[in-house]
Amino acid sequence: MSVSATEPTTKPLRLSGSQPFTQQAGVFIMIGERTNVAGSPKFAKLVKEGKYEEAVSIARQQVENGANVLDICMDEGMIDGVAAMTRYLQLLASEPEVAKVPFMIDSSKWEVIEAGLKCLQGKGIVNSISLKEGEEKFRQNAATVLKYGAAVVVMAFDEQGQAATYEEKIRICERAHRILVDEVGFPPEDIIFDPNILTVATGMEEHNNYAVDFINATRWIKANLPHAKVSGGVSNISFSFRGNNKVREAMHSAFLYHAIAAGLDMGIVNAGILEVYEEIDPELKVLVEDVLLNRRPDATERLVEFGESLKHVGSVVSEKKAEEWRNGTVEERLSHALVKGIDTYIELDAEEARVKLGRPLLVIEGPLMDGMGVVGDLFGAGKMFLPQVVKSARVMKKAVAHLTPFMEAEKAEMAASGQVVKAQGKILLATVKGDVHDIGKNIVGVVLACNNYEVIDMGVMVSSEKILERAKAEKVDLIGLSGLITPSLDEMVHVAREMERQGFKLPLLIGGATTSRRHTAIKIAPHYSEPVVHILDASRAVPVTTSLLSDEGKPAFVAQHRTEYEALRAAHSAPRQTVISLEAARARRTPIAWRAEDLPTPAFTGVRVLDNFPLAILREYIDWSPLFHAWGLKGVYPRILEHEQQGEQARQIFADANTLLDRIIEKNLITARGVYGFFPASAVGDDVALYLDDTRETELDRFHFLRQQANKEGSEPCRSLADFIAPKETGLADHIGAFAVTTGIGLKELCDRFRADNDDYNAIMAEAVADRLAEAFAECLHKRVRDEWGYGLKEGLTPADLIQEKYRGIRPAAGYPACPDHTEKGTLWRLLDVQANTGMLITESFAMWPGSSVSGLYFAHPESRYFSLGKIDRDQVADYHERKGMSVAEVQRWLGQNLNYDPE
Amino acid sequence: MKTANQHPLEKIFESRIAIIDGAMGTTIRTYGMKEADIRGERFKDSTKDLLNNGDLFSLTQPKMICDIHRRFLEAGADIIETNTFGATSITQSEFFVDDPREQGGRKDPEFYQKIIDDPMLNNLAWEINQQSARQCREWADRVANETGRQRFVAGAIGPLTVSLSNSPDADDAGFRVVTFDQVKNAYKQQVRALIAGGSDLLLVETIFDSLNAKAALVAIREVFDQDGLTASNKELPVMISAAVGRGGETLISAQTTEAFWNAVQHVKPLSVGLNCSLGPDLMYPFLDELATKADVAISCYPNAGLPNPLSETGFDLGPQDMARYLGDFARAGLINIAGGCCGNTPEHIAAIAKALEGQPPRQLARQIERAA
Repeated sequence: MSVSATEPTTKPLRLSGSQPFTQQAGVFIMIGERTNVAGSPKFAKLVKEGKYEEAVSIARQQVENGANVLDICMDEGMIDGVAAMTRYLQLLASEPEVAKVPFMIDSSKWEVIEAGLKCLQGKGIVNSISLKEGEEKFRQNAATVLKYGAAVVVMAFDEQGQAATYEEKIRICERAHRILVDEVGFPPEDIIFDPNILTVATGMEEHNNYAVDFINATRWIKANLPHAKVSGGVSNISFSFRGNNKVREAMHSAFLYHAIAAGLDMGIVNAGILEVYEEIDPELKVLVEDVLLNRRPDATERLVEFGESLKHVGSVVSEKKAEEWRNGTVEERLSHALVKGIDTYIELDAEEARVKLGRPLLVIEGPLMDGMGVVGDLFGAGKMFLPQVVKSARVMKKAVAHLTPFMEAEKAEMAASGQVVKAQGKILLATVKGDVHDIGKNIVGVVLACNNYEVIDMGVMVSSEKILERAKAEKVDLIGLSGLITPSLDEMVHVAREMERQGFKLPLLIGGATTSRRHTAIKIAPHYSEPVVHILDASRAVPVTTSLLSDEGKPAFVAQHRTEYEALRAAHSAPRQTVISLEAARARRTPIAWRAEDLPTPAFTGVRVLDNFPLAILREYIDWSPLFHAWGLKGVYPRILEHEQQGEQARQIFADANTLLDRIIEKNLITARGVYGFFPASAVGDDVALYLDDTRETELDRFHFLRQQANKEGSEPCRSLADFIAPKETGLADHIGAFAVTTGIGLKELCDRFRADNDDYNAIMAEAVADRLAEAFAECLHKRVRDEWGYGLKEGLTPADLIQEKYRGIRPAAGYPACPDHTEKGTLWRLLDVQANTGMLITESFAMWPGSSVSGLYFAHPESRYFSLGKIDRDQVADYHERKGMSVAEVQRWLGQNLNYDPE
Repeated sequence: MKTANQHPLEKIFESRIAIIDGAMGTTIRTYGMKEADIRGERFKDSTKDLLNNGDLFSLTQPKMICDIHRRFLEAGADIIETNTFGATSITQSEFFVDDPREQGGRKDPEFYQKIIDDPMLNNLAWEINQQSARQCREWADRVANETGRQRFVAGAIGPLTVSLSNSPDADDAGFRVVTFDQVKNAYKQQVRALIAGGSDLLLVETIFDSLNAKAALVAIREVFDQDGLTASNKELPVMISAAVGRGGETLISAQTTEAFWNAVQHVKPLSVGLNCSLGPDLMYPFLDELATKADVAISCYPNAGLPNPLSETGFDLGPQDMARYLGDFARAGLINIAGGCCGNTPEHIAAIAKALEGQPPRQLARQIERAA
């Protein structure tokens, strides 16, 4: 687009590091100056001594203190400018918190500027070029800056020297602007003039107007040179007050205040130290402004005099430290340091954690791995990027390095006492034959190396033979294969086969952009008997490797891994069930001829609470079989008591359970509490609507049920729980019941007491017994409900019959086969006000608390029966999403097991 | 900066969405070529496997490559890309030079200096670029003559197998395996050969690492200036296309979309856009962002969804899926150039071309100004 006089507004300066930076109207851009060897002796010292890591931390502080751009300067006699600039910028590129901001390459040597430009992925600023060496050189340099895509600072300097006065400043700037825009084709919004901030209050009269000249030149440039920006090195202004920070800071603030008002866009400042203009001591402010604005001839003397009295006061504003995170627990601090990639305190914190946890390994496997887990999750969610992950890994490495001597000492101790010491893991990585991509694999290598594994990286295009030969020679503990392109997948299968044939016993890791968990499970893992594990990204490499190489962790990890992969294979090979459309399934609902005489009226409608329900009564309703299952015995009560092998143990458990139960009942150690209710209800499609009262005018709430969709043989219906409530259109008055009961109140305290006495057996037994009581409560309450519904009074069943559910009606629960959606518990909780009435809670994942709790619904119709929903299709998921107002993704998440399709 | 004549592609952008071709690699695989086929006589004694060095096919199986170019053109592509994604001395070295890491050595600037100076690799890279550009030129012109519609050859400049932003050394974050100048010089040679072979456009694509891309853009500028193209007003238009991940940042150097645009805007490219890495659905938000920020034509050639080794093409989406997504982008006014990357065959491109027929292109700020 061309620049024209009609252009309404000034184009903002746009820059970038890894993040974009766009100048905001009226917001001053702060350029951090601490990474300038001329401005910061500390930085200069670090660079000269080659302490680049510490030098990097200065850049980070600048960014944390709010610098928008970092000025980087290596102009110092003792420093090799090109090498230092290159190395420092390459280090900063690996420092994500710093790399996000644009950099200003500051040098008077052209070769240093060009070296700097070659390190910037974003759009930075060159500081500076000028007409000092004539137009030809100026044009040439400007064209080079443009070629690399940077903005440029132009000093008000020409063949005659530095512009000091207003007239000189504007003359040179105008000339430079014309050459840049008209001849070089430089974008005018990327031109930043520096009309020289020169020192005032030097005692020389001709210097007194320097600040005013700069401010006026700034105003002129902004008014006359379209889109141009103005910058300056602010600290120059107060140079004559070296050693008097109070005065200097006041001068900087006041100068900026006036210069910004005139249009100054940016300045090189110490972002950490900047007095707020409004907060300058009023007396000092007047004196400072007298000097800056050249308001009286004796201004300098007056300020010097006043300044003497202020000397040694020190800095007004100390470096702001955004370090509240240091107040957290040591675990929180380690996690924060890993996520943010801050290594400043990592050794201190690792040591604190080591002392706290007792063993160095516990620090690594505990808080450090947890922190890396957070990093992995954030990366997986797209909230962290690769360089940040690598940065985190480096912090991890520092922590591990600190802990290593302690682990060595521990190992030496163990070895001395005759225990076997396992060597540190050795990992071989290679990109498979035929594939040349390895940047991702390199990152995995770095992350693993940072976690103290010995990594052998064989590079790219490595044949199976070479990989396996090297693995044998080096006795590695694990092999990792990488590949980006599709044919690499076949090569990985080949390597796995070869490993099997040659009798390898090492785990195999698979990674790379086209690989996937499913592919690994289905295509690669079946060819090799040892674990074959897919690694999603670099951040996952460490936890998986740690598990696979740890004697304690490996069996559980491998067992879980095999189960997961087996499930993936099963899901892949299982023939999809044939399902019928939801519409067809609805046409095949449970055939029920609706008659008023099948719909009993309950004794009441609304909610009743049962507090402190007698445990002695519940005891009668206990189904004992699951108690034995809880203890790992298979069988049915009472036959199990006479079982050949298990009988003796079963009898022991049974006796202990009853002894405990006697105590619980006698001393009232736990409390049974429940709530239940009846509600007028009718079926509306696959929903059941509940009404406030018998007028059935106000709908209270709604249960959403699902319908079987499997294509069953013959006339077998496609059932839904909604089928067992009279449809609204029949006009019949039906009811539904609901309940929630717990026998877990007081249980935790009871278990804690057992554990405090080191009696884990009874602690577990107490939980098992409480579970039985909760089920018994549900059964007992169902009996009462049937009686209150009327038809139960004629049952005449024994408790044993009840356990076998030989009665009319059902009590299905959310999360069980007929109604697998756990979230329906939410409706139940509202309906019965469960939390207020019983203290029972549901968690985010709709689990009930306390544990020994049961909830569900009561259906009374003689045709009602239990069934399993089975697989459902997309049409029902879409319909359910509409009915329930839950997103499709959420529906799929809650009903994952029931989907007849792969939701991805 | 210049008031050069309007490029014929810019003319197209005013009235419709231009179509760019699909994936060379994916399509090559459907021909069932074997190691012996890519080697031919010329590379029969090569020690390393060459089958995945797809650029070599332009030399050893020109008939197949030309057939693919023809099919993409006939599918409706206005722009076809040369088969030169890896045609630099640096990338070719992976297939012809022993990896020092196998012997416990490392790749570093010293190693790559030898690569840059290697006459065999240099000649090979030149030959692939020039030959591929010629083949594209021939078929683009043939189909143009047959159909009466001008076609364009984009010289494809890929991302390389090395990164200027990333250190592979765990102990030294400041280490780089290559230097900016080495990368730039490898690219300069590629640019010159692509121009010599008759390319109409230069396409810096699949940008994982913005600094690598910058080296390519500096290389282009230097070739234009040093070879007299600037002086004779014969600069080729430059197209730029980045590969971003799920967070919208370049895959290796982690630069966000807008930051990337700020960094390359000075080139005044004919177009900027996104390709590879993501399917159209995941690419959408970043394309939208780019379309808001950039005042040049927007290109979009996503993968056919995510890699799915269990599907036939290796990717999730079929021709109709791609057509539907890109049709949606067109209706949202996001794009000026559309096509496909990995997983997109000529059938995909044909479906996309059909879906975009008659769809208005994204309006460029320039055009809006002109209309105002």
